[in-house]
Amino acid sequence: MRYVKLHENEKVPVFKNIAYALKLVWKADKKLFLSYMVSYLADNIFMRYIQGVLFLKVLLGVIDSGGDFNLFLRDLLLFFGVTVFIKVVTWWSSYIRQVSTKRVLKVLNNMVFEKAISLDVAEYEEPKFYDKYQRATLVMSAGYYDVLCSDFADVVSSVLSLIFLLGTVASIGPVYLLFLIPTLFVFVIELRKSKKVYKRDWEMAGNNRTKAYIQRTVFLKDFSKDMRTSNIFSVMMKRFDKAIKENVKILKSYGFKLFVYSMISTLFSEFIPLIGTYAYAAYQFVRKNTLSVSGFSVVISAFTSVRESITLITYCFDEMAQMALYFQNLHDFFDCETNIKDGEKTAGKFESLEFKNVTFRYPSAKKNVLENISFKITKGETIAIVGVNGAGKSTLVKLLLRFYDPTQGEILYNGVNIKEYTVDSLRNAFATVFQDYRNFAISIFENVICRECSDEDRERAKSALKKAGLWEKISSMPSGGETVLTREFDENGAGLSGGENQKLSTARLFAGEYEIAVLDEPSSALDPIAEYKMYESLIDATKDKTVIYISHRLSSAVLSDRIFVISDGRISESGTHKQLLGSDGEYSRMFKLQASGYVREEGENDA
Amino acid sequence: MLKLNKKNKDEHSMFSNIMYFLWLMFRLSPGLVIGDIMSGIFRTLPPRLVSVIGVKYIIDTVVEGKNLERIYYAVLIIAAVIIFGNLITILYREFYWNMERERLYFKLNSKLYEKAHLLDLESYDDPDFYNNFILTIESSSDNIQGLLGLVQNYVANLISLGAIASVILAVDPVCLVIILASILIFLPLSSKIAELQMGRRIDNTRYHRRSDYFQRIFYLQDYAKEVRMNGITPLLMDRYNDAADDVIDNQKRYWKKISLCYGIQQVGVQGMGFMLILPLYLGYCVLVKKTLSPGDFVATFNGAYSIALSINFLTVWARAVMSERAKMIEKYREFLKADYKIKDGRGKAECAEPKTISIKNMSFTYPGNDKPTLNNINLEIKPYEKIALVGYNGAGKTTLTNLLLRLYDATEGEILIGGENIKDVTVASHRDRFAAVFQDFQTFSCSIGENVALDKDFDSAAVMEALNSSGFTKELKYGTDTEILREFDENGVMLSGGEAQKVAIARAFYKKCPYVILDEPSANLDPIAEYKLNQTMLEAAKHKTVIFISHRLSTTVIADKIYVMENGEIIEAGSHEELMELGGTYAKMFTLQAEKYKS
Repeated sequence: MRYVKLHENEKVPVFKNIAYALKLVWKADKKLFLSYMVSYLADNIFMRYIQGVLFLKVLLGVIDSGGDFNLFLRDLLLFFGVTVFIKVVTWWSSYIRQVSTKRVLKVLNNMVFEKAISLDVAEYEEPKFYDKYQRATLVMSAGYYDVLCSDFADVVSSVLSLIFLLGTVASIGPVYLLFLIPTLFVFVIELRKSKKVYKRDWEMAGNNRTKAYIQRTVFLKDFSKDMRTSNIFSVMMKRFDKAIKENVKILKSYGFKLFVYSMISTLFSEFIPLIGTYAYAAYQFVRKNTLSVSGFSVVISAFTSVRESITLITYCFDEMAQMALYFQNLHDFFDCETNIKDGEKTAGKFESLEFKNVTFRYPSAKKNVLENISFKITKGETIAIVGVNGAGKSTLVKLLLRFYDPTQGEILYNGVNIKEYTVDSLRNAFATVFQDYRNFAISIFENVICRECSDEDRERAKSALKKAGLWEKISSMPSGGETVLTREFDENGAGLSGGENQKLSTARLFAGEYEIAVLDEPSSALDPIAEYKMYESLIDATKDKTVIYISHRLSSAVLSDRIFVISDGRISESGTHKQLLGSDGEYSRMFKLQASGYVREEGENDA
Repeated sequence: MLKLNKKNKDEHSMFSNIMYFLWLMFRLSPGLVIGDIMSGIFRTLPPRLVSVIGVKYIIDTVVEGKNLERIYYAVLIIAAVIIFGNLITILYREFYWNMERERLYFKLNSKLYEKAHLLDLESYDDPDFYNNFILTIESSSDNIQGLLGLVQNYVANLISLGAIASVILAVDPVCLVIILASILIFLPLSSKIAELQMGRRIDNTRYHRRSDYFQRIFYLQDYAKEVRMNGITPLLMDRYNDAADDVIDNQKRYWKKISLCYGIQQVGVQGMGFMLILPLYLGYCVLVKKTLSPGDFVATFNGAYSIALSINFLTVWARAVMSERAKMIEKYREFLKADYKIKDGRGKAECAEPKTISIKNMSFTYPGNDKPTLNNINLEIKPYEKIALVGYNGAGKTTLTNLLLRLYDATEGEILIGGENIKDVTVASHRDRFAAVFQDFQTFSCSIGENVALDKDFDSAAVMEALNSSGFTKELKYGTDTEILREFDENGVMLSGGEAQKVAIARAFYKKCPYVILDEPSANLDPIAEYKLNQTMLEAAKHKTVIFISHRLSTTVIADKIYVMENGEIIEAGSHEELMELGGTYAKMFTLQAEKYKS
C-alpha cells in the first residue's frame, strides 16, 4: 500500500476524489457504506470509549464514593447489556459488509467493462492513458474501493470517539487536556513523515522495478532457454546487486530525517501526555491532597485510547490520500471521451470501398505513417497489401475498422464516409483475423461463434473448424467442441499450439457473416502444408466475398486480383501480380528475392 | 526433475521449518535476527508494564498515603523506561533494520536465483512444480519479513504474558484464574474461525481465478482489438458475472458462520469474562471483602486485556501464520535441496574447431506424455555442414535442438560430439560450444551490447559488427551501451519484432563457437531482410556447423543436407536436389510453396 509511485509535484484534490469515491460506492450498493459506518462506529466507540474509559470511570466512581455493592452490580449489568447489544450489531453488520463488498466489486467492474469496450483502441495504444487506466483498475482488482470505505468509516468513528474521550477527560480535570492536546500534533507530524516515506519509496521505485524484472527473468519460462545457454544471468545479477546497493544508499540518506520525525512523534504521543498526566496527578496529590483514584485511572486509560485513535486517524487519512489518486484515475477513465464517434447510418451490403487521399499520423508520433493513400475496391475483389515491416500495412486496417480515424482524407464505404455509419454496423461488415489474434478461456465452440451456442451454432462452428483444418484435433478431445480452452480454471481444458490457435481464430471467420474479410498475416504460425491448406479453404470460403490480405509472404499476393505495395506509408505500386512483376519495381524485386530459392529449382528442372 | 509437489514422508515439522529459516537468516545476518527480537521486547513490554504496575503503584501510594515524594521518582522511572524503549526501537529501525533487510533480501535471493537459473527445463513442463517454483521465489521476501515479524511478536508476547500474569498472580490468584478461564473456554472458537477463513479463502481463490480472467480481458490491451470486432463481449460479461455471483454466494455461506463465531467469542470473553465476572469479583473484593485496593482493581482490569491479546496471538494467530509460513519454507527447503537431472560430466568441452556430431538411436518422451516426441533418431553432422530441419508443426524439430543443447537429456540413445558423449562434459562447457537463436528468443532489458554478447563483458566493436551482419540498422544513441526496453531506463530503446529478431541473430554472429542453432530465424522478417540474412549467414558461418529449422523452404535450398521430420522420425534426408528427385514429402512441400512463385 505504501509503495505507491506518487510524482513529487503531483497535486491531487484529495477531498474531491474521496467524495467521488464514496458516491460511486454508494451508487453501486448502499449497504457497503452503511454497514461499514454502523460496525465501525459501534466498534470504535465501544472499544475506545465505553469499554476503555467509561466503564472504569463509572465503576471506580462507585468505589471512590464509598462503595455500594448493589449500585456497582447494577452498573455492571447495565454495561453487560450494552456490550451484548453492540456485539450483535457488529456481528450483523460485518456479515452484511462482507457480502456487499463483493457486490460492489461486481457492479463497478461491469461499469468499467462497459466503458472500456466503448473506448477507442487508440486509447489503449497511448501509453500515458493506458498506464492511468491500469492504475484505475486497481480500485477493483486490489480492492481499493473497500479500503477507502473502511478508512472513511474509521476516521469518522475515531473522530467521534476522540470527542467523547476529550469530553470525559475535561469533566475530570481540564488541566489534563493540556497534556492530551499535544497528541493532536502527532497527526501533522505523522503526515509529514509519511510524505518523506513516499518520497523515499518513490526514489526506490525504479530499483524495485529492476528487482521484480530480474526475478521474472529467472523464473518465467519465456526466458528459460536463453538463460541456460548463455551468460546473461551474470548481467542480471550485476543489475540486481546494483539495485540493492542503490536502495541501501537511499534508505541511509533518509535514516536521520525519519528518526527525528519518529522521535518527535513519540514525544508528543507518549512522553508528554503520559509524563504530564502522572506528574500533574502526583503534584495534585502531594500538594493539594485532592486526587481521586477514579479520575487518575480514567485519564491514564483515556490517554491510551486517544493515542490509538490519533494513530488510526493518521494512518487512515494517509491511506485515503493515496487511494484518492486511483479514484481520480478511475474518474478520468469514466469521463474519457471517445474520439471515434458513432454516425447514424447503418452500413449495408457491400458495394465499394474507397480510400481518398488518406494521411495518418499516430497521436504522439512525429512522422506520418500513411501518406496520401488512395485506392478503390469493389465487390468480390481479392486484394493483397504487401510491404516491408513497418511500412504501414496494419495501420491501414486499423483505419478501415475505425480503430483510428484518418488525420486527413476520408474512407468511403459504398460512397459514404465511414464516419457516418454506426461503428458497430461498420465493424460488423468485416471479419478479421489479426496478426496478434487472441482466443479466450471459454469453450471451443463459443470461441468460434462468440456467443452462447445453440445446436445450430454448434453445427456451424463444427463446419468452420473443419474448414480451418482443426476439427480432426478437436473431435479427438473427450468433450469435443465443448472443451474449454486452457487449463487455467478447468483441469480438462485444452492447450492449443500456436498454429492451432491461429486456425481457431480463422475458424471464427469461416463461421461468421460478413461482407469483407480482412486477413492480417493469417498463416504466420503454420507449416507449409497447413499454410497451403489454409489458403485453399480461405479461397473457397471467400469465393463471392471481398477479401483483403495483408502479408509479407508474397505467395499470397499471387492469388489476388490486385496488389498494393506500400512503402514508407505510400502506395508505391499497384496492379495485378503479372503487371507488377513486369514493371520491375519494388514488388518484383521482393518477389524475385523471395522466389529465388524456389525459382532456381524450377529453372534447373526446365533445363 | 525436482519433486516439490509430492507429499512425502520426509516433510519437516512446522517447528523444524521455522528454525531452519531462522537459522538461515541468522547465518546471513545475525544482527537482524537478534535486533528484531530485542526491538520487539523494547516496543511491547514497557507500555504494557506501565499500564499495569505503574498505575497500580501510583494509585496504591496515593491510597495508602505514605512516602508521597516517592511518586516523583516513580514518574521519572516510567518516563525513562518509555523514552528508552522508543529510542532503541526507532534508532534500530531507521539506522539498521531498513538497510539490513534489503541486504538480506539480496543474499537470500541470489542464492535462490543461482539455483533457479540452472534448473532443468523439464521442471517448467510440470505445472504443479512450476507453480511451486514461482511461489518459492515470490515468497522469499515475505518469508524474511513475515518470519522476523512473527518471531519478534512471539517473543515479545511471551515475555509480556509472563510478566503481567505474575503481577496479577501476586495481586490475587483468583483473578488470574478468571481471566485465563474466560479466554481458554472460548479459544476453540478461534480455531474454528481460522479454519473457516481458510476454507473461505481457498474457495474464493477458485472463483476469483475465473472472474479475474474475464476481468483481465477487459483490462488488457492485448484483447482490445479482438473484443471489438467479433461481438463476444456479452458472452464474456455473462461469464464474469457468473463468477462474481459465485464469489458473493461463497461470502454469504462462510461469513454467516464466521461472524457468528466472532460474535459469540467476543460476547463471551470481553462481555462475560472481562466486563461482568472479573469486575464483579474485583468489586466484591474491593467493596465488600476489602482485600484488594483500587490500584489492584485497575491493574488487574488493564492486565486482563493485555493477557487476552497475548494469548490470542500466541495460540491462534501465531499458529495459523506459522503453519502457513512453515509450508512456504518447506517448499523453499526442498527447492534448494533438489537435485538436477541434467548432470555435469567430468571433462570440459573445448570450444574450438567443429567436430562431427553424431546422434545415435535417440528417442525422447516428454515427462507426462505417453507418446515419444522423437523416435529412434540417427544422424551425423559433419564439420562445417549447414543442416536444415524441416517438417510439420510438432514434428519434433525444436525438441531435437533442445536435446543437442542438453536442455533435456534423451530418454534413449546418445549424442556424441567428436566421438565424446555430451554427457561426459560439464553442462556449461557443452552449451558454451553453441550459439542458439530460439524461435521464442527473448531480448533482455539491459544494454544492447549485453544483449548481443549475453554477458556482462563484451567487445563493442565485435558487437557492432555482429549487429551489422544481422542487418540491424536502428540508430543507437549510446552505441553498444544503449539500453533496450524500458524496464530500467525510461529512455530505453523499444524494438519492433523484426528488430528484436535481428538482435537475437546477432548473438549467433557474435559468439565465438563452432556450432550454431537457428530456430526459424526469419519468421519476423520481411522478404528483403530475409534474403540478406541468408546471404550474410552463409558468409559468416563458413567456419561453423549450422543447424537451422525453417518453414520457408526457400531458405533450405542452401543447406548441405536437409532432414525432413514427421511424427518424431526422420523420414527423408539428403540435399535439396536429392530430395526433389526422391519426390517425397519434401518435394511435395517445396512444390506447394514454389508453385506460387512461378511467374
